[in-house]
Amino acid sequence: MKKLSNFKKIEGIKNLEKYSLPAPATIFILDLKKQEKEIDDFLKNRDIVMIRSDKEVDMSFCPHNLNCPKAKAKKFIEELVSKGYAAILQEHVPSEEDKLSGNILIFKKNILMELMEGGPLTLLNREGKLDEYIKIRRNDFKEIEHFGKRLITKEDLGRVLKLIKRVPPFKILEFSIGQDWLYFWQIRDDKTAKELKD
Amino acid sequence: MPKKIILKGIPASPGNVEGKVKIVNFLNEVKKLTKGDILVTSFLTPDLVSIIRKDFPVLGIITDKGGTTCHAAIVARELKIPYIAGAIDATKKLKNNTFISLDSERGIIYEKA
Repeated sequence: MKKLSNFKKIEGIKNLEKYSLPAPATIFILDLKKQEKEIDDFLKNRDIVMIRSDKEVDMSFCPHNLNCPKAKAKKFIEELVSKGYAAILQEHVPSEEDKLSGNILIFKKNILMELMEGGPLTLLNREGKLDEYIKIRRNDFKEIEHFGKRLITKEDLGRVLKLIKRVPPFKILEFSIGQDWLYFWQIRDDKTAKELKD
Repeated sequence: MPKKIILKGIPASPGNVEGKVKIVNFLNEVKKLTKGDILVTSFLTPDLVSIIRKDFPVLGIITDKGGTTCHAAIVARELKIPYIAGAIDATKKLKNNTFISLDSERGIIYEKA
């Protein structure tokens, strides 16, 4: 029997709640038949949804459709589940309106932000698209290092820092900011960051 | 005498190593890597990362793109391979078979004395 706790990406999404970080409405699907009503309720009043996936062991590329029409959603979920994936059904977040996306790595003394214009974040994570790099001191939020374009406004930066101030060190967070929204995609442990100079 | 700095980038996985530059532009060029090489490439794509995860002979890695939080950087840290990311134009500025030193704690690439 599959357990959601065995899926790392899903755990990363669920853990956002622990720190009260805003995330798109989401449900996780392991069993299409058992969860059919839950899926129908989610799809009600939505024309487009985002569907991502996660696999228990295989950490390589997981299929997704970030602009899935409601009519095709169940079929796509069915395919994912039949191939052993857990499906992640989320409210649609329009990527064309992305102002920026990025990763935040929390150290003991500092916070590192690596940002890119637009989205999806896979462009930064898997293709190395990096447009702005900022290092900020944790105690007073003073910027101590910066290079690249100034993408994030002071206002947005302040908003993000306020939200993450209680997050403990050696966590990595993924987020995007749009015209009128700010969402975190997941939060994960990054024990390897202990090796880096803080 | 102070060592000459060739390039600077983002510290992605710490360590100090010296080795020979091997520029890889295409995946099929990975086979030319030998023990003691420093892999220089545009970015560590998922294909290259999966090769690195296996028995990878390189001493260090330098990429034109990327940063500390990319998947490739996390893998390099897990495998304890020194890695400098975001060293802009490294694939153009560094020449094959030249010896270099990597200080990937500070993100600096030196000419080997």
